[in-house]
Amino acid sequence: MSGKMRILASIVVIAIVAVALGVFIIRGAGPLDFAGGTKVALADYRAGKPTGVPAKLEKAGIVERGEYLAKAADCMVCHTKPGEKEYSGGLAFKLPFGTLYSTNITPDKDTGIGNYSDQDFLNAVQHGKRRDGARLYPAMPYTSYTFMTDEDVLAVKAYLFSLPSVRAKAPDNTLSFPFNQRWAMIVWSAVFNPDTRFAPDTSKSPEWNRGAYLAEALAHCGECHTPRNLGFALDNRRKFAGAITAGWRAFNISSDKTTGVGNWSDQDLISYLSLGHAPGHGSASGPMGEAVDNSLSHFAPEDIRAIVAYLRSVPPQASPDLPATTAPVAPASHRDGVTADARGKQVFASACASCHGWSGESPVSPMATLTGTWAVNDPAATNVAQIVISGTKRHTPDGALSMPAFGKAYTDDEIAAVANYVTARFGTKGSKLTAKDVAELREQTAE
Amino acid sequence: MHMATVLTINGETKSFDAPPDMPLLWVLRDILGMTGTKFGCGIAQCGACTVHVDGKAVRSCVLPVSAVENRAVTTIEAVGSTPAGAKVQKAWLEAEVIQCGYCQSGQIMAAAALLATTPNPDDSDIDAAMAGNICRCGTYVRIREAIKQAANGRQS
Repeated sequence: MSGKMRILASIVVIAIVAVALGVFIIRGAGPLDFAGGTKVALADYRAGKPTGVPAKLEKAGIVERGEYLAKAADCMVCHTKPGEKEYSGGLAFKLPFGTLYSTNITPDKDTGIGNYSDQDFLNAVQHGKRRDGARLYPAMPYTSYTFMTDEDVLAVKAYLFSLPSVRAKAPDNTLSFPFNQRWAMIVWSAVFNPDTRFAPDTSKSPEWNRGAYLAEALAHCGECHTPRNLGFALDNRRKFAGAITAGWRAFNISSDKTTGVGNWSDQDLISYLSLGHAPGHGSASGPMGEAVDNSLSHFAPEDIRAIVAYLRSVPPQASPDLPATTAPVAPASHRDGVTADARGKQVFASACASCHGWSGESPVSPMATLTGTWAVNDPAATNVAQIVISGTKRHTPDGALSMPAFGKAYTDDEIAAVANYVTARFGTKGSKLTAKDVAELREQTAE
Repeated sequence: MHMATVLTINGETKSFDAPPDMPLLWVLRDILGMTGTKFGCGIAQCGACTVHVDGKAVRSCVLPVSAVENRAVTTIEAVGSTPAGAKVQKAWLEAEVIQCGYCQSGQIMAAAALLATTPNPDDSDIDAAMAGNICRCGTYVRIREAIKQAANGRQS
């Protein structure tokens, strides 16, 4: 080898190593790398069946199995615009660089997925590739769904194809350059889509493996609860440490004992996931409320327990901006406690006190109790402002409890004032929201 | 199908059929015929539907009936038999608070709950307790005066 060639070869080797290292650093860990045990191919796993449907549906037809899996994967909430037909798409995702619209996944041949073959559908769900070859944006969580088995993906397809066709064309995306360059997603996908099916971990229990499959491949918890890296992919080095998604804060669900769910009892976690409420931990609202209503509340009890077992194993991640303990019950009288924001107090007295009480312990229902929730203990008050703007409705086996939306009744100034009052009175540290902050929060929500 | 719901209203046990998520207000008015409690906004923002649950003023229009089983419900029909309620009703008549009257059962329920916990309320206590009860006729000045009369037991 000549000297020149040798130098050239060295440069090539250095470049390859640099790119590989760069990809390794940017891509980071996979969602299940924390477990560290020996992974085996699904076919070689004998201890249990982590994939598919729960035992009671094992003998059901493919459409019924697909319905369970489609709900577990929560397809509907993103693929339905409020007020429109289920799965007919058109929901707007407002991003800093434009708006994306979800697609129609009913079997309509012109505007839906009626012409998709099994392979077309697998390509879309596991590889992020549309039937016409175009790449999907990762708003579609195919980097999670890629872990689903072919059998499960095709059961979802069978279910979707059993639904009525809806003719509805989603509006065109309005992304700005360079984000409107779909081809760039080929590179993104090559770096960030693990493009591999779920591989059970033999060092863990069958229940854990079921929970891992449900949480990672189907429920895609990390898509909201794991922070993103510079490439907008999940940063699994900080798995489940919490993040802001669609203008709402998805709180820390790692096993951290203070700011995660490490100190929640099994019963609390089961209750929160299946009913959207756990005593002393508040009620799911915003995107998590939708996840409970459309997805988690339909899980079989053993599947909820499996997710709990899995959550418990995720290494602790601290949220340094949250207090170590949530604030205790506020005084029963409006006179005592924090009364710094007079405008906020006035709004609270008119609109909030009759259900939430001056102590934060609701005279109406434990579901409306503010004390102990992360929302009021978050000094950024993100979710307090959002729930005031959009309200919420929780369904339980005993009925429904709702909070009206105040977004059109109060100005940004008033919403900021009441959020600052609420976090100061019922949380550990009052927020300092301004009208501008509230206006920005309104902009970020999906619809 | 659902089980019969059993509630304790004004000290009496009432049994009826209702879906668990039916608002208490609908049960009171439409099933039990107790029309003293009024429907205003339906979203807990006007106070016309105020009743007491375990002595606290709550908005019955958003309260699912399943949430008040095994709890004591008091309505405008019986609040006069509580010491605070009796004082409030007397003061209301003496101060001629009422104009059209639609919001007044809610106002009286809120005022009675206030006096039961705060026997001598000042203006800020009245503001904090009554701000969620809206009166289209604008009787607020007389409401404030009547609450103070009821607290002091003095004649106008």
